[in-house]
Amino acid sequence: MITKTQDSAQSDLLGKLRRVGGNASAEQIGAELNRLGQTPVPLLPAQELCEAFLINVLKNQGTVACAPDRSEAVKCVAKYLHERFHTRKIVAGNDPRLAAMPWRDGGVLPRFGAAEQEFSSPPTPASLSYARLGVAETGSIVTFTGKSNPAANNLLVEDHLVLLDVADLVANLDDAWQRINAAMEEEGRPRGINFISGPSSTGDIDAQLVMGAHGPRAWHVILMGDVPDEALDNARSFIEQRLNQL
Amino acid sequence: MSSTDQAKGSRAFYSNVRSSLQETEKVNRRDMLGLFMPMIRDAAVNEFGGFEELRRHVKNIKQHSLDNLYHYLSQFVEEAKSNGNHVHFAQDSSEMNSIVLDICQQHDARRVIKGKSMVTEETHLLPHLQSAGLEVVETDLGEYIIQQAGESPSHIVGPALHKSVDEIRELFMRKHQLGERELEGPAEMVAEARTVLREHFLKADVGIIGSNALIAESGYSMLVTNEGNGDLCANLPKVLIICTTMDRVVPRANDAMALLRLLVRSATGQPVTCYTSFYSGPRQGEDTDGPIETHIVLLDNKRSDILDSDYREMLQCIRCAACLNHCPIYIGAGGHAYGSVYMGPMGSVLTPLLTSLEESNALPNACTACGRCAEVCPASIPLPDLLRDLRHDETRAKLSPTRWRVGMKIHAWLLSHPWLYHKLTALGIPALGWLGRKKGSFKSLVLANGWTDERDFPAPQGRTFMQQYQSQRDDNEDAG
Amino acid sequence: MRAGNQHPPQDAPRFQVALYVTCLVDLFRPSVAFDTIQLLEQAGCEVTVPTLQTCCGQPTYNTGDYESTIPLARQLIEAFEFADYVVVPSGSCAGMISHHYPKLLQDEWRERALALAAKTFELTTFLSDIAKIEKAPGDTAPLPSVTYHDSCAGLRELGVKAQPRALLKELCNLEVSELGQTEVCCGFGGTFCAKMPELSGKMASDKLDSALATGAKVLAGGDMGCLMNIAGRAKRLGKNIEVRHIAELLAGDLDGPAIGEGKQ
Repeated sequence: MITKTQDSAQSDLLGKLRRVGGNASAEQIGAELNRLGQTPVPLLPAQELCEAFLINVLKNQGTVACAPDRSEAVKCVAKYLHERFHTRKIVAGNDPRLAAMPWRDGGVLPRFGAAEQEFSSPPTPASLSYARLGVAETGSIVTFTGKSNPAANNLLVEDHLVLLDVADLVANLDDAWQRINAAMEEEGRPRGINFISGPSSTGDIDAQLVMGAHGPRAWHVILMGDVPDEALDNARSFIEQRLNQL
Repeated sequence: MSSTDQAKGSRAFYSNVRSSLQETEKVNRRDMLGLFMPMIRDAAVNEFGGFEELRRHVKNIKQHSLDNLYHYLSQFVEEAKSNGNHVHFAQDSSEMNSIVLDICQQHDARRVIKGKSMVTEETHLLPHLQSAGLEVVETDLGEYIIQQAGESPSHIVGPALHKSVDEIRELFMRKHQLGERELEGPAEMVAEARTVLREHFLKADVGIIGSNALIAESGYSMLVTNEGNGDLCANLPKVLIICTTMDRVVPRANDAMALLRLLVRSATGQPVTCYTSFYSGPRQGEDTDGPIETHIVLLDNKRSDILDSDYREMLQCIRCAACLNHCPIYIGAGGHAYGSVYMGPMGSVLTPLLTSLEESNALPNACTACGRCAEVCPASIPLPDLLRDLRHDETRAKLSPTRWRVGMKIHAWLLSHPWLYHKLTALGIPALGWLGRKKGSFKSLVLANGWTDERDFPAPQGRTFMQQYQSQRDDNEDAG
Repeated sequence: MRAGNQHPPQDAPRFQVALYVTCLVDLFRPSVAFDTIQLLEQAGCEVTVPTLQTCCGQPTYNTGDYESTIPLARQLIEAFEFADYVVVPSGSCAGMISHHYPKLLQDEWRERALALAAKTFELTTFLSDIAKIEKAPGDTAPLPSVTYHDSCAGLRELGVKAQPRALLKELCNLEVSELGQTEVCCGFGGTFCAKMPELSGKMASDKLDSALATGAKVLAGGDMGCLMNIAGRAKRLGKNIEVRHIAELLAGDLDGPAIGEGKQ
């Protein structure tokens, strides 16, 4: 019943749109779209990509660490968990890349699966995601929802930790989509693609910025691999200078 | 709505503004907003570099999308269906509301959580679902606050910005079971709302969200939030309903990115929101979470008429609220004075188009043509021109006060007879100048009471320029 | 004594200028028109004042009565299209001619409107960018401290921002004490101020508060509408600031009462 009326509602509207305009062929439309050219992209705060990314993560109220290899990355996770929660436990998605981390190097005890979703249980303190991509332009990391990164791990925890390979860092949002489109060609369309750029925040009360609106109160990004030595220091002093200017 | 109600509605704006100007504390809050928001927007725009170029690009993309809306909407619908969504078309508000209610009822839903969506404000979805016995909770913190207060949004991005910390504290004290706890500042209040809303998130049967862009090439819907509440709505309940409109369609993901760059900087001065998400449809294959069923409801509600009118550019609007933040009328009047879902310059154009000019002809008149809205509009909508065109429609439909219309005709007639005009002004103006010569201005003046209600009327210096110029020329000729 | 044609320029005129006085200057402050003529002549212009001019049609246009505005636009085009340059001591009237006439009119009239638009200039833009005036016509007696109100149409339709400041600096050695939120409207808005008097009054008060906060003795501007609004509000609230058209400052014409002030 509903389907039938819906079909007619659809054809009514599309018919109207067709009358209003839209006589061009798909080829013509595609050619016209291509003529509109590329989207202008913003200036990066630093020439070096890692540095620009780290600056923007910090600007997004995130915290950062750099690790030359996976073993050091696990130690970074351990340090963070100890300092914030005095725990060694963390929830991580069923991602083969996470399963293969040398957990014992840092004494971290991962539970593979999704963050707690029962209201009666206490919320999961921390989760770990392995990012698909990092975006320097916006200081964002990208995850796909699914078994390897359940949505709850991004959202229903106190702190969200993210591992990112330097090799997966791209300059801007358009580059990110080029990589996402390529991944979709191979794996199909994921249900959700999430660009995360900071802890959950709100300015809805008196326009004052407060972290932890509904999701994570803190967001910690660990950049793994060949990060230039001075990138992190440069990023920190950039932020410091910016704060002094305000 | 009866015609008397309509007449009331149209008059209400002016009296609403008068009363809102009396509330000193709220006036000060809005003045701060009007000072602060443009500053953070400007900073973000300057940091971007080629913002004007981006603005032109997005305008081109939006116009291209609207020019070929049949093509792109068809493509979006096809892709969205192949992603596993149910796609619905709603001609008007009541159709959208019943489609959504039907879906909820088919799933025996009792609890519904909602992300922020101006479209559902437009259709008044919430009361519709509530009257059918559903528990509906707004989860955007600002929306939650005004839902608790029983109010409507005063701003399309920051719905509760009109409320002070004290008011919100008092509201939570009243509505929540706080026991001995006190809520000192915003941080404590946010934590309190977080706890209360977490339970709603985890227990809900249906999630409802809006969309910031619909991507034709892939059928994805883009959702932009800082709180992450929309993502919780989109991921936790078994059923997801996206309520949106056809003018959100863009061709490609890159176009959505271009739009995102403009939207967030214009709205909050950030380069990007904390959560920018793209949802394709229901859970699939090995997914361990996500909705089992997803619906996209596309509301028309006169948008196809607007597309076919001289007001098409209004469909380029991306709902960033920059025009509100930069409009002295909005800042002075406050969002509630508009008595409509959309407010400020974009609302003053959109409301008459979505309802009728008869009901809302006061709104297009609330404009000094200062042009600041058009200057900052990321979608390059010529808002003052559209507002003036609405006043043109108003004049032609004889909806404006007769004394204005006739006054303007007489005024224009006189002006188009220069000789007579100069004769008459040469008689009247010196007399007026003589009357006002001592004080230099008038406290009140016949036919100028709108002016003299609030300010003195500066007196003319004496003889008109044309009079003086003419007589000098005559003198010169005599002398020559 | 102060009429323009009694001050013949030393050299052959460099520019033939037709002055559009504007209705508010014509009726309420003719001295601004005489100051304008002086400035233009000082800058090497020969000035004529077409006598068939009345109002540019902003009130009817902005009210939405396009039909009544069209004859006024045509009348103005006919009266001024002979000139090499049209100069207007008002940003909103100049904007009406160069920005809105071409939108309002069609076909042949649109072409004529575009041609007129191309040679129509707001006064400070003309003096600064075209005629490149170098020296004030009158005495450069020390002038009072000044703040400047950017009228919206001039600012946004015509990009008038640097020119008045540069002229005040170069001709009068005056540095403008800038208003806070200088890009915000003063609340005049033509018929708006009569349609929504309370809100308009609030906006004018805000503007006055910003002006008083600068400590300047004079608020100058390039549009009589805005200036009469601000001056009228100042008078009503008893706020003490002189409101004057920028042509008055540039021409050193400060002996007469400011806008809205009496003759005592």
